[in-house]
Amino acid sequence: MLFLEKMKGSGQSPPRVSLVEVCWSWVGSFLGIAAVALLHYRLVDEKGLLMLIGSFGASAVLIYGAVRSPLAQPRNLLGGHILSAFIGVTAYLWFGGQPWLAAALAVATSIALMHLTKTLHPPGGATALIAVIGGESVHNLGYLYVFMPVALGAAVMLLVALIVNNIPKTRKYPEFWL
Amino acid sequence: MPQKEADLCSPLNISEGDILEAMSDIQGYLDISPGDFKEIFQFAYRHAVTRIMDSRKAADIMTKEVHCLESAMDLRQAATFLADKKISGAPVVDAEGKVVGVVSEKDFLAKMGVGKAASFMQIIAHCLNNKGCVATLLRNHSIGEIMTAPAITAGHDMTIGTISALFIDKRINRLPIVDGDGRPIGIVTRTDLVNSYCFSR
Repeated sequence: MLFLEKMKGSGQSPPRVSLVEVCWSWVGSFLGIAAVALLHYRLVDEKGLLMLIGSFGASAVLIYGAVRSPLAQPRNLLGGHILSAFIGVTAYLWFGGQPWLAAALAVATSIALMHLTKTLHPPGGATALIAVIGGESVHNLGYLYVFMPVALGAAVMLLVALIVNNIPKTRKYPEFWL
Repeated sequence: MPQKEADLCSPLNISEGDILEAMSDIQGYLDISPGDFKEIFQFAYRHAVTRIMDSRKAADIMTKEVHCLESAMDLRQAATFLADKKISGAPVVDAEGKVVGVVSEKDFLAKMGVGKAASFMQIIAHCLNNKGCVATLLRNHSIGEIMTAPAITAGHDMTIGTISALFIDKRINRLPIVDGDGRPIGIVTRTDLVNSYCFSR
């Protein structure tokens, strides 16, 4: 296929899901984000700590909205976030003087490592980026960022996913653990 | 290639429309485009065909009761034998019981002198155009003289994929399956092969 020909796209868009499915996606993501946000605002925020980061919104799309996706499985959710958080913090510590470089390295290296470890989880890219551009509150955490908010927050979201996604007959979660 | 024959019994030409409908049948968001699924399906189908072709061997599909002719038999005896058994060809064995050739209708037709690529209808035409029947030419000859030799044979562990390729490459219709000493233990015909592909029973 010619280079430009490829840009036209030749496939079709997948069908829209049923209303029931939409409702379960809403309920799941509401509860998942509510759980993490409650912990954040009621418990850890006053101590200058974090529980909630932007990339969890992206994770919610996957683990409550695309339950069967390989990208939404526990291995990917936890592995992708934790690995990317570690890379992000490292990138900031090593190259923080050049924020553009630290940001690009954090995201690119995270994607590569997620590929290699079969833990590809798109929100992981955001988690890595936040470690660099998240400002003082994130930078002050150092490698603690990997455990909290990232690992802990992802674990809470996973717990909610395990409960909510197994209630309807038409859903089951996860497809696999490892 | 054997692939060509297998395609006949397969729904390889699944359309993206089929896939879209199937995806609608399944509840929940599927994180795959119909085009990707189609590609996966086609590769998977090919792998399945290869797996099945490699997993089934001659011994699994062959007809175990194999009717053999002896090379010293005269053609009248042989034709009567084949007619009785309602078969159109058979392996030929020597005095020690080893397969030395294969005889089919084609070999008989060839001997009847209407050319190497003779057909039944040519024989009919020939008989109607001339007095008498050309079958008389077959008298006083033995199977050993008309058989196709050396025989193409195979062991019991040849895969059906390889057998299919052999049928097509060598343009044969039956393949005697022999033991280590060359003695027949079965025969795989085109019919056996077709039955093994389409899993219809």
